Amino acid sequence: MFENKFRVAAAVAALTLAGTYAIAADVDYTAMTPQELAEYLIFEANGFKLDAQVQEESSARDRLVQDELQMVCTETRNNPSTEQAEAIRQAARDTIVYPEGDIVLGDWEKGRDLAWSGFGYRLEPNFDNHERSGPGANCYNCHEFAGDRQGGTIGPSLRNYGKLRASEEEEVSQAIYRLAYGIIYNAHSMFPCTRMPRQGAKGLLTQEQILDIMAYLFDPESPVNNE
Amino acid sequence: MLRTLFAAIPLAAVMASPAVSGPSGDPAEVLEELIGSTSSYYLTQSEQNLMMMPDNPALWTIEEGEELFRTPRGPNNVSLEECDFGKGPGVVEGVFVELPRYFEDTGEVMDLGNRIIYCMTTLQGFTADDPEIKDIHGSNTDHMKLQTFIASQSNGMPWNNPLDHPLEIAMRDAGEAVFYRRAGPFDFNCAACHGEAGKRIRASVLPHSSNPKEWTKAISWPAFRVGQDNARSSQHRVRECIWQMRYPPIVAGSDLSIALLSYWTDLARGQPAIIPDMKR
Repeated sequence: MFENKFRVAAAVAALTLAGTYAIAADVDYTAMTPQELAEYLIFEANGFKLDAQVQEESSARDRLVQDELQMVCTETRNNPSTEQAEAIRQAARDTIVYPEGDIVLGDWEKGRDLAWSGFGYRLEPNFDNHERSGPGANCYNCHEFAGDRQGGTIGPSLRNYGKLRASEEEEVSQAIYRLAYGIIYNAHSMFPCTRMPRQGAKGLLTQEQILDIMAYLFDPESPVNNE
Repeated sequence: MLRTLFAAIPLAAVMASPAVSGPSGDPAEVLEELIGSTSSYYLTQSEQNLMMMPDNPALWTIEEGEELFRTPRGPNNVSLEECDFGKGPGVVEGVFVELPRYFEDTGEVMDLGNRIIYCMTTLQGFTADDPEIKDIHGSNTDHMKLQTFIASQSNGMPWNNPLDHPLEIAMRDAGEAVFYRRAGPFDFNCAACHGEAGKRIRASVLPHSSNPKEWTKAISWPAFRVGQDNARSSQHRVRECIWQMRYPPIVAGSDLSIALLSYWTDLARGQPAIIPDMKR
């Protein structure tokens, strides 16, 4: 992996890697824009192991190819214009697949396990084998939920999430459930260029898993609403 | 392991020959001064690591590294004392805070790791398949010994990677583009974790890339990672971030990795390096 670094100085290395040298020699980094050079370094200059084993059907290389949303949020450094923001929200809303009929909360204990788990989708050198254990939802990395485990602060605290949204007379409404479901499924539908992963839209969580996590957030029995 | 270390340190201090030097100055003092000059949860989050800095196991790695550095080795049986890390053959003092930089002899921007490989290859005659070249992670590798020794000779000195050559500028700017480029299954970029002050991933306070006084500690590698019981390099830190981001594995020493290191060093410009540091 270091061989191409010594193509000029080390004659032997240059010989064995003549092909690499020829390609690299044609490229003038200083003639590229920073973005062009970044793309070149990522995809053409052996910056990443693009053929590494992945858990999904697709490839490691595909993970690095930006989609429209990633491009706009990169270009604007997460500050899209009003028009861009509206377009992102609309496109994100279109990705959301809601359960048929009313939203019914799942199992809050399963939801807690998912929220706690940071397992999944990591590659070499410590590959997450999804056959041994399903990928988690990584929620705790960025959010606080309850006092029993310290959560991160990159996202807002979600302590008492359900309690704060229920009234004494009524349970939480379907409208609020749909809102929360939409945020977990694709948070850009509410917060364009948010840092939160698109859990549903990218196929990271199933509908059932999202409902379990929602139970962790909303169920009156859940520690989220009892501390 | 630590118990052995505590017992061994006074003995080592007595036995240390004048030829064997530690870091240039006391890393703990550099860090304490930094802490006193600003208010940062990131800098102060591990009181335990602060307390342990005088007994940092990476201090041993420095000693082993200096010995390796000065010993004639490889098929050519020469030491690395003729290696030019940017300030002339054999100069190690202050070179690390001025890397990555452009080298005339290779026509490339190189970091410390690549420069060591370059010299081990061209001067000492090692080849790419030799473990001395190939094994780059862990306190017991030649790489980490050499890196920790050489980098420690920049302790307390301000980060100042040159941005004079057009390639140095191009690499730094590409590194910035990569830092903010969102990709991967979770849409992460580096800024997702390092774009705000005082944020945590679970219990860990994250360094803010726009605060040079935090960022200097963030990029102060080699450091001893307590949780991993090993001295680790900049390249290893990047690799772990990339792994957590769910990206494909980054290739250590690739121009992509050098671009990132050029940008991250520029972000800490002017602030003192803390080497060897201790991290969780």
